[in-house]
Amino acid sequence: MSDVTRRPASASGLTESEAKEFHSIFLTSFIAFTVIAIIAHFLVWQWRPWLPGVNGYQTSLMDSVALVKSMLA
Amino acid sequence: MFRIWLLFDPRRVLVALSIFLFVLAILIHFILLGTDRFNWLEGPHHGMVAQQMAPLPATGK
Repeated sequence: MSDVTRRPASASGLTESEAKEFHSIFLTSFIAFTVIAIIAHFLVWQWRPWLPGVNGYQTSLMDSVALVKSMLA
Repeated sequence: MFRIWLLFDPRRVLVALSIFLFVLAILIHFILLGTDRFNWLEGPHHGMVAQQMAPLPATGK
């Protein structure tokens, strides 16, 4: 019978080597996604930080305009 | 760590993970658009409330 030589199936049906192969692809994609997310969060924090201090958001939305005006003057 | 894929079907995990991340991203983006500070399309609405709460102009009697 061919059943004797058949490998024991895992719960997902993958072999160990298949699981290792998928895991390396998954890990690479996960790291790439995380790096892009970190870059995006860094840029948004530069734009407008999302944690106000105890006195609330200190910087007005017009601060950047005032900065440009002071540089032009 | 790779043994997790012996337990969980990679196809189902990928589908579930992508749906979860997409819904989470959509939710966060809409929440941010709903705020005044983080709306990147229309910007803040300073004075909108004051304008809406102002009394109507007096009508001539």
